Amino acid sequence: MILLRLISWPYVRKHAGRALLTVAGIAIGVAVFVAMRAANDAVFGAFTQTVSRLAGATELQVTAGFSGFDEAVLERVQAMPEVAVASPVIEAVGATGLPGQGNVLILGIDMTGDRSLREYDLESGDAAVLDDPLVFLAQPDSLMITAEFARRNGLRTNDRLPLDTVDGRKEFVVRGVLGASGLSGAFGGNLAIMDIYAAQHVFGRGRRFDRIDLALTPGVALDAGRQALQQALGPGFQVQTPSARGQSFESLLRIYRLMLRFSSLFALVIALFMIYNAFATAVTQRRAEIGILRALGATRGQVGLLFVVESAVAGCLGSAVGVALGYALAGGVARLIGTLLEGIQGVGQGQAEVTPTPWLVGVALALGTLTSVLAAALPAREAARVDPIKALQRGRLQVLGAGENRARTLVAAGLGALGAALFVGTTSLPAFYVGYLCLLLAALLLTPWLSVALVRLLRPALVWLRPTEGMLAADSLIGAPRRTSATVSALMLAIALVVGLAGIGRASHGQITEWAESALNPDFFVTGSPTLTGRDYRLPEAMTGELAKVEGVAIVQRMRQPRVAYRNSLVLLMATDVESVGRTARRTVLEGEAADMYRRVAAGEAAIVSENFAAGFGVHAGDVVELAAPTGMLRLPVAGVVREYSDTQGALIVDLALYRKHWHDDTVDLFRVYVSPGAVPEEVRGRILTRFADQRRLFVLSSHQVRAYVGRMADQWFSVTWVQIAVATLVAVLGIASSLTVTIADRRREFGVLQAIGGLRRQVRAAIWMEAATLAVVCLVLGLVLGALHLYFVLQISYRDYPGLRFDYAYPSLVALAVCPVMLAAAVAAAIGPAESAVRGSLVEALEYE
Amino acid sequence: MIRLDAVVKQFDGKRRVVALNDVSVSITRGEMVSIVGPSGSGKSTLLNLIGCLDRPSSGEVSIDGRRLSGLDDDELTRVRRDTIGFVFQFFNLLPTLTALENVALPLHLRGWSRHRARERATELLGVVGLAQRVHHLPEELSGGERQRVAIARALSVYPPVLLGDEPTGNLDSRTGEDILALLTDLHARLGTTIVIVTHDMRVAQSCGRTIAMRDGQVVGDVRR
Ligand SMILES: Nc1ncnc2c1ncn2[C@@H]1O[C@H](COP(=O)(O)OP(=O)(O)OP(=O)(O)O)[C@@H](O)[C@H]1O
Ligand SMILES: [Mg+2]
Repeated sequence: MILLRLISWPYVRKHAGRALLTVAGIAIGVAVFVAMRAANDAVFGAFTQTVSRLAGATELQVTAGFSGFDEAVLERVQAMPEVAVASPVIEAVGATGLPGQGNVLILGIDMTGDRSLREYDLESGDAAVLDDPLVFLAQPDSLMITAEFARRNGLRTNDRLPLDTVDGRKEFVVRGVLGASGLSGAFGGNLAIMDIYAAQHVFGRGRRFDRIDLALTPGVALDAGRQALQQALGPGFQVQTPSARGQSFESLLRIYRLMLRFSSLFALVIALFMIYNAFATAVTQRRAEIGILRALGATRGQVGLLFVVESAVAGCLGSAVGVALGYALAGGVARLIGTLLEGIQGVGQGQAEVTPTPWLVGVALALGTLTSVLAAALPAREAARVDPIKALQRGRLQVLGAGENRARTLVAAGLGALGAALFVGTTSLPAFYVGYLCLLLAALLLTPWLSVALVRLLRPALVWLRPTEGMLAADSLIGAPRRTSATVSALMLAIALVVGLAGIGRASHGQITEWAESALNPDFFVTGSPTLTGRDYRLPEAMTGELAKVEGVAIVQRMRQPRVAYRNSLVLLMATDVESVGRTARRTVLEGEAADMYRRVAAGEAAIVSENFAAGFGVHAGDVVELAAPTGMLRLPVAGVVREYSDTQGALIVDLALYRKHWHDDTVDLFRVYVSPGAVPEEVRGRILTRFADQRRLFVLSSHQVRAYVGRMADQWFSVTWVQIAVATLVAVLGIASSLTVTIADRRREFGVLQAIGGLRRQVRAAIWMEAATLAVVCLVLGLVLGALHLYFVLQISYRDYPGLRFDYAYPSLVALAVCPVMLAAAVAAAIGPAESAVRGSLVEALEYE
Repeated sequence: MIRLDAVVKQFDGKRRVVALNDVSVSITRGEMVSIVGPSGSGKSTLLNLIGCLDRPSSGEVSIDGRRLSGLDDDELTRVRRDTIGFVFQFFNLLPTLTALENVALPLHLRGWSRHRARERATELLGVVGLAQRVHHLPEELSGGERQRVAIARALSVYPPVLLGDEPTGNLDSRTGEDILALLTDLHARLGTTIVIVTHDMRVAQSCGRTIAMRDGQVVGDVRR
């Protein structure tokens, strides 16, 4: 394409800065996209690898949610002809007593069977441990650690290693060090192996297993084997391949992935606007050139194509830069996600390796180029429609035609009405999304009109501030709304997004705190793990009475909270002394009547579900939920819906007695303890700790500590939101900077005329600054108003769609206030450079500038 | 009024171009001067120097006895805004402002009140015969009308000197004549010093003095 070399290349060279900005727009968009995706893939890739490393040759795994099951199940599985090897597993996070080492994943296994499933290549140690599993068995303090962990802590075979057990800290002996291959790569080496019966003791599991790993008899197809097992065990058990189980575990993190995906898409949308802006200006600016081309015989198609090809080239270049930049950033993002994951799993994954994949690189390049072409499509069409005669008359500027204006308003009004109707009129989710899209489009179409109206309102203030310069600034914005409409649209969206994010952050934070105050109101929580969500160390039932006897303790409520399978998710089952909890906890009841609800659930006749459970599964008071218990399906009517934020997947509250009957599990995760009136909480806490010192690994968390923990979890959650707010703000700042640079540079001639007819430098400079500031104000006003609507929408989505939580509407005024000076400063700062070059450059050249 | 002494202007681009080579000209108050010459002879460059839009490479330009070489950029702008009005070949009106606003603009820049500026602008648009077009945008005006707005704008502050770089160059001959008549009329009525660059011999001849240029030098200077 000769035109490209003759026409486009010189233009790009002349306006190198602008071309750079166009490319930068795409680059940033693609970079955010790539960084988010690559980090995501790296972290979850590492996760999948860990799963497969831990699984070894295991073909199928039998679980019952996270609740575990009786030992007897193992015999039933082993007896099946389809099963060649079946080996029990306990998988839990254990706390080492080594300073600075924290937690390790402990795999409790049965050496006898497990060696045909997993490879244990011992680097050092008593080979007899492996050759004769009985040696390992006979010594319940045996432990195998990874070479990596041994190196880090200077441990060798037969060294002692302190480890927390449910009965307090015990010394274990390193009987073997695993070589670098296979298993030991998982969790960055933070892994230890012990005998399954020892693990049962360490974690207070009673005579239960978490899981059975098995290999099928040669000749039995995977699917057939799976079905046979499912048949034999009943619906209370899940029979899955290790990778499928890994996936259902991953789905617990769905919300993070959702948010990351959203950020990356948003970045591309903003890039779209930036490119549109650059091309729209280029077309206006090159009208004369286009006119000449057309006069010389170029067809409309050729002119349009010229711009499309230009945009494709810019898109390609930008995407390439973006991919490189994205991978550079991905490491940091991966670390962030890794920390979040560690908070959930209890053990660090180790640093996830970010490696470029051809697939992601390809997608990013294609997406960047496509976005660029899409953004340039409208300006290209406009270029193709340039009338050669008009274009060749100099000094003409395209102004919004009256007819087009009316058409726009009509379309906007139509879309607005349709959107509003869908918004309020229907309950269906797709209609709701479409409605919102209509409203958004209407707002975008009205942007030029709205911004002109706003500037008209602002004009008196500007004129009052600086009569001449204010008037110039206002009139220039009023006169050419098109010039700024893309900028205003993009920034309006970005600011609205910031408001939405900050708003949901504020609302959810407030409500979670409120929930923590009302639901987590015991004086103490007595647990085997340092956090409320840890379920690795279980406490024995016997402790209930012992605790109740401690002087000053008034009420003890038991709580066991495993994940169980419901439909295709793993939801949180909160089994507790409902009768007592009904009297003490003050959860907000959304459906059902409190007294009646707690009575029915305490009697074991019904369940209470959390708000997000109700929304996520479309379950309401009066409906029946079917839970998969190891003893068979458990059908429970829903007695009520409460506000409960314990879990993002949704939670069910049932009575502990009911749980024990159906799950055969009498361990306890935590005790909720209320002190008697008059007792001093600190003293009671001391007495509990003394009573169980050296007998139990015990944490007595005050409600204050627990609330602080909930607050920290929530903050961690919102750290993703804050990153998004930062990205949105950054993009907004870049957006206003780039478009101001472009538009001011474009108007050199205009500023030259101003000076030629007697404008002083400082007057021209002030006019440019005021224009930039006014533009920022317009963006802010429109953005903050649209933000109010957007926030409503986001809150509705989070209730109607995912994660099913209803938050009260509260405008994030603080963040909104903070955004204002940032945008204003960005606008003025962005205007300084171009304004200086506009007033300092040669006047003669400026007057000839096209 | 306007003096150029041994003025040289060269452009140091890829190749060095000497646009004006040792030009000395003096124009007295109230003269109406035309500058003619082949394309590239340095007419525009000369006019830009007189108009304080540019500075000479060497030599001295003085206006009203004031040497321009000693002035900084803001002082130069002040001289320009107190002394000189411009009419460009391509009008250079601000596309977003109406005819009235364009004409009032120089007055605003000098801090006139809105009311006074509008009054004067309306009056001047009347003088150039555009009383019916005050609220039109430039693109709603014909070429001749636009040039008249530009002249009105140049005159709005009653500058002692009016400069025009081919003010009729972009107009048909009829309209060109109208503009020329307007200029001579203004010259007669207001006593404005007028310097115009032109290719049109009839325009040149209607001026009291014609300076001819070639290759950056003055090759003829005729007074009628
Ligand atoms: N900015 C510039 N850079 C380099 N050379 C220039 C520049 N401006 C003018 N020139 C050169 O200076 C010489 C005189 O230019 P000028 O514009 O004064 O000519 P002119 O007499 O006005 O011609 P025309 O009648 O075509 O308008 C020309 O040779 C031109 O190429
Ligand atoms: Mg010229």
